Amino acid sequence: MALEDYLSDAKRCCRCSYCKWIPLAQVKSWRFAKGCPSIAYKNFHSYSAGGRLAVVLSLSEGRSSYTDGLLDVVYQCQMDGSCDVACKICRYHMEPLEAMRELRFKLVEEGQLLPQHIPVIDNLRKEDNMVMKPKAERGKWSEDLDIKDLTTESAEVVFHGGCQLGFDEELGKVARTAVTLLKNAGVDIGIIRGKEENCCGGKAYDMGYRGEFIKYAENNIEAWTRAGVKTVVTSCSDGYFTFKRLYPDIGSKFEVLHTVEFIDRLIKEGRIKFNKTIPMTVTYHDPCHLGRLGEQYIPWQGEEKKIRGQIVVYEPSKPRNNGAGGIYEPPREVLRSIPGLELVEMERIREYAWCCGAGGGVREAYPDFSYWTARERIEEAKSTGAEALVSACPWCERNFIDAVNGNGDKMKVYDVIELVQQAI
Amino acid sequence: MAISREAYQALEDIVGPENISEEPAILDSYAFQWLAEFRQHGSKFMPRAGAVVLPGSTEEVQAVVKICIRYKLKCKAHSTGWGLYGAPITENAIQLDMRRMDRILKIDEHNMFAVIEPYVIGATLQAEAMKVGLNTHMIGAGASCSPLAAATSFQGAGPDSIFMGSGPENLLAAEWVMPTGEILRTGSLGSGLGWFSGDGLGPSLRGIFKGILGACGGLGVFTKVAVKLYPWPGPTVMPIEGTVPAYTAQLPENIRAHTLAWSTWEGYADAVYKIYNNDIGYIAHRQFIMFGDELQAAVLKILTDTTRTLNDLEELLKKPEIQKLSEEMRRSFQIVLVGMTPRDIEYQEKVLNQILAETGGWKIAAMEEPTMAGWSLLYMIKLCFKNLNYVYAGGFHDAMARAGTPDLVTSGWMEEMREQKRKFGKQGGIVNDGGDAGMGGVGTAGGGGYNAFENFILYDPGDAASVEAARACNVDAGHIAVEAGAGGYNFFFMEKEQVQALLAGRARPAIFQWQQKIKEAFDPNGVGDGSYLCLDE
Ligand SMILES: Cc1cc2nc3c(=O)[nH]c(=O)nc-3n(C[C@H](O)[C@H](O)[C@H](O)COP(=O)(O)OP(=O)(O)OC[C@H]3O[C@@H](n4cnc5c(N)ncnc54)[C@H](O)[C@@H]3O)c2cc1C
Ligand code: SF4
Ligand code: SF4
Repeated sequence: MALEDYLSDAKRCCRCSYCKWIPLAQVKSWRFAKGCPSIAYKNFHSYSAGGRLAVVLSLSEGRSSYTDGLLDVVYQCQMDGSCDVACKICRYHMEPLEAMRELRFKLVEEGQLLPQHIPVIDNLRKEDNMVMKPKAERGKWSEDLDIKDLTTESAEVVFHGGCQLGFDEELGKVARTAVTLLKNAGVDIGIIRGKEENCCGGKAYDMGYRGEFIKYAENNIEAWTRAGVKTVVTSCSDGYFTFKRLYPDIGSKFEVLHTVEFIDRLIKEGRIKFNKTIPMTVTYHDPCHLGRLGEQYIPWQGEEKKIRGQIVVYEPSKPRNNGAGGIYEPPREVLRSIPGLELVEMERIREYAWCCGAGGGVREAYPDFSYWTARERIEEAKSTGAEALVSACPWCERNFIDAVNGNGDKMKVYDVIELVQQAI
Repeated sequence: MAISREAYQALEDIVGPENISEEPAILDSYAFQWLAEFRQHGSKFMPRAGAVVLPGSTEEVQAVVKICIRYKLKCKAHSTGWGLYGAPITENAIQLDMRRMDRILKIDEHNMFAVIEPYVIGATLQAEAMKVGLNTHMIGAGASCSPLAAATSFQGAGPDSIFMGSGPENLLAAEWVMPTGEILRTGSLGSGLGWFSGDGLGPSLRGIFKGILGACGGLGVFTKVAVKLYPWPGPTVMPIEGTVPAYTAQLPENIRAHTLAWSTWEGYADAVYKIYNNDIGYIAHRQFIMFGDELQAAVLKILTDTTRTLNDLEELLKKPEIQKLSEEMRRSFQIVLVGMTPRDIEYQEKVLNQILAETGGWKIAAMEEPTMAGWSLLYMIKLCFKNLNYVYAGGFHDAMARAGTPDLVTSGWMEEMREQKRKFGKQGGIVNDGGDAGMGGVGTAGGGGYNAFENFILYDPGDAASVEAARACNVDAGHIAVEAGAGGYNFFFMEKEQVQALLAGRARPAIFQWQQKIKEAFDPNGVGDGSYLCLDE
C-alpha cells in the first residue's frame, strides 16, 4: 500500500474524536478515560489519529509541506493502536493506524528523517540492534546456558531474545528463565546465540524504515529455515507482533508464540507445576503488540467496491484487525494459576489498554513523553491497590522500571515469567 | 497570510509557546471538518485559522479575547470541535481549542448538579455521575461531545430529553468571557451564591445564550457551567460484556430497553402523547432508523456479531426474518424504562403495555432477545456508538428535517420525507437505504411536548460524485423545508448573502433580527465569528 491508498480514509474521517478516548462504552471514570497518549500529552488535534489523517490530506493537496513541526506531529505517537481500536468500533472501512504508518514510510523514503532517530537507525545498520549498543554485547543472558545454538544446530523451536532482553542486564533473566522453563518442560528449543541473533526489524518498521525491516525479516527467516525451525517463541511483544503480523508478508510460515501462550499451554498440560505461594496483589498491563496488535495474520488482497449505491465493502471480504483477537487471556490465566497471587484489573485493559510509552520510536526520540506515558500507567496501576505491575514485554518493563525509579515509587515491576519462576 | 508577529507574540505570552501554533499542518487539522465539503466547494478544509490557541484557564481566555480585540482578529472557540460550525468561517481567525480546560470541578450529589469545563465530555461526566447515583443529559451526538457546548452554544437535544430535558434547559450558572473581554458570571454565581441557579439572584442570560440554535461560537467563550444531573438507580459502573466491537450491557431488572412498533402513524403518535401524559420513560428515540428503513435490521445484526462486516449486508438482506424485522421497525422507536424502585418499573411497564394495547402497538420480539436488548441498552444509555452515523461510507448530512407535535408523523410528512430521499438513493449517488433514515426525538424537550426528525443522507465524502449527489438531495429537501417554514443546518453551507435571504424567508425572521441586536450589544468590536445567525435589519 502507499499513502495515496489512504486518502479516502482521510476524507472519510468524520472528526468525531473517538480515537482520542478508550472505547466510549468502556469509560469508567474521568481520570482514566483517555486512550491516545499523543493527544493527551500534546493537546493539539493534529496529535491524534483523526488529526494526522487531516495532515495526510493537507500534505497530499499541497496545503502544507515538510517542516520540523510536521515531523513532530508524525513522530510524537507510539503507534500503539488504541486509536485504531476505538475508531473501528463504529467505522468498518477506516485504517487510521495503517495510514499513520504509511505516512512515516513516505517521510523516510523522501529523506524527511527525524533527527533523533538517525543515530538509532545508524546503529541498527552497523550493530544490528535498536538499543545503541555494540553487537558484541548481545545475548549475555545466554552465555553459560546449556541450550542448542541454532547457528550450527537445529531445533523445532527457536527462542528469539530480541534487542531489549539481549542487552538489558537487569531484564536478561526473563529470557534465561523462559528458555530454561521451556527446555525443562521437554521442548526442543534453541537460540541464535550471542551476537549472531538479529534485530527483528519491527521497531524500525514502526519508525518508518521499511527497507531495514525487510532486510532483518529476510535474514531471520533464512536463519530459522536453515535450523529447521517450525515455531518461533519470544518474550518480547514487539518481536511477537513483528513475527506474527509482519513476517508473513515476507514469506514466513512459522508458527509464532509468545512465551505466555506457551507457558499457559504447559501449565494446562501439567508440564509446569507450582510449589510455592506468592502472596501478592498484582495488576496486568497488556502490551499493545501482544494485545490489540497481536491478532492473527490473515492475508488479504482485494479492492474496495460499493453496494446499495455508496456502502463501502471489499472484494473479497477484508479481515478486520480491531483488537478482538489479541492475546489477553493466556497471561491472565498464567497469573491466576499462581498460588496466592491475586490479579486485580486496571480500568483500561485488553484492547483498550493504555500504552507503556515505549513504542513507535518515542522512547528513543521523546524521552519525556515516553516517561510521562509510563507514569500515567503507573498511576492507574496504583489506583487498583496492586503491589506490582506485571507485563509481558521487556520494552514495557524497561519503561515502567525507569518511570518507577525516576519517581521513587514503591510499585514493583515484573514480567509474567519472573513470577512463574518464583512460584516453581 | 499569517497574523502579525506582534499579535502572535502577544498570544504566545499568554499561553506559552507549547500552547499556540501556526504550523500549517496543525492549522489544517483544525480546518478539516465534517461537512466542510458542502461549504468549501468540495474541500474538506474550512478557512484556515491564523493560529490555534489552547488556553488553560478563564484568565487566559479573557486575555486572548482582549488581544484579539486589540489586533482586530476574529476569535472562535470550540470544545471538542465535531462539525464545521466549530471552525472559523473566515481565514486568519484565532481558533481556541478548549481541550486543556477539561475538569469536572464539582459534582454536587445532594443538589444534583455538576460544574464542568468545556472539554468534559458526556462519557466522563456520566461515569462520574453514575458513581453517586446520578446521570447527565447527553445530546444525540453522543458521549464524545461537550455538555457545556450543548448547554450554551449549539442545539442540545438528545434521546434522553424526555426525562432530562435538553442542554439549555439544564444550564444553571455559567461563567462567560464576553466578546468584550469582560467576564460575566450568570445566575446565582453572579451574586456570589454558588452554581445552583441559572436565573434568579443574579443576571440571567439563558435565553440569550440559546437564541434559536445557540451562539455557535460567535459570541464569546464559555469557560465553566453548572448543569443539572438526574437520578440513576442503576449500577455505579456500567457492566460491559462482549467482544469488541459488539459490546453489550446486561443491566438489572429495573432498567429495560424495548423497541416499540405500530402499523399506523396514528398509533405511533397517540402512543407518544400517552407516554408524555403518563410520565414514563427515561430515554425515548427513533434511533436505529438512522441506518435506513430497509437496512436497519441487517445492520443491527452486523453490529451485534463480531464476526460480521458490511460485506454480509447483501446476504442478510435476503433473509426473510431480516426483511420482516426491518418492515416491523418502519414505524418504531426505542424506549428505555428506568424504575427508581421495583414498584416503579412494574408500574411503568404496566402503563406501557396499556398504551400499546390502546394504540395497536407492540414490543418487537426480536429486539427483546438478550443480545439485542443488551446492545440497545448500552447504545441508548451511554450513547457511545454515535459515529455509527458514518458507518456506511463516512458521510452523513441532512435531507428533510422538521420539528413539531407528535402529530407531525400523521401529516403525510414522513412519507414525503421518505420519498424525497428514496428518489436520490435509487440514483446511486447516496446510500440507497430505503429513504427513511428519519432519526428523531420522541420528546425533544423535558417532559416531551414536541419531537423533531432529521432524515439522514448517507454518502461518501471520499467520492466527489457522492458529495455532489448528497448536496443535490439536501438542496432539494431544503426547498421543501423552506416552503414549510423550516430548514436544517443549511445556513452553514452558504455565503452571507444567501444566509440573509434564507433567514428573511423563515417563518419567524424577527428572532434573527433580535440576534443581530444581541450581537451588536455584546460584541461591539466584532470579534465574534460570523456563524452566530443574524439578520441585518
Ligand atoms: C452524529 C451526530 C449527531 C448529532 N445529533 C445531535 C443531536 O441529537 N442534538 C444536538 O443538539 N446536536 C446534535 N449534533 C450536533 C452536535 O451538537 C455538534 O456536532 C457539536 O459540535 C458536537 O460537539 P461539541 O459538543 O463538542 O461541540 P463543539 O463542536 O465544540 O461546538 C459546537 C458549537 O459550539 C461552539 N462552542 C463550543 N464550545 C464553546 C465554548 N466553550 N465557548 C463558546 N462557544 C463554544 C462552537 O464554536 C460550535 O459552534 C449531532 C452531530 C453529530 C456529528
Ligand atoms: S480517525 Fe476515526 S475515530 Fe478518529 S476522528 Fe477520524 S473517524 Fe473519528
Ligand atoms: S498510535 Fe497511539 S499515540 Fe498514536 S495516535 Fe494512535 S493512540 Fe495516539
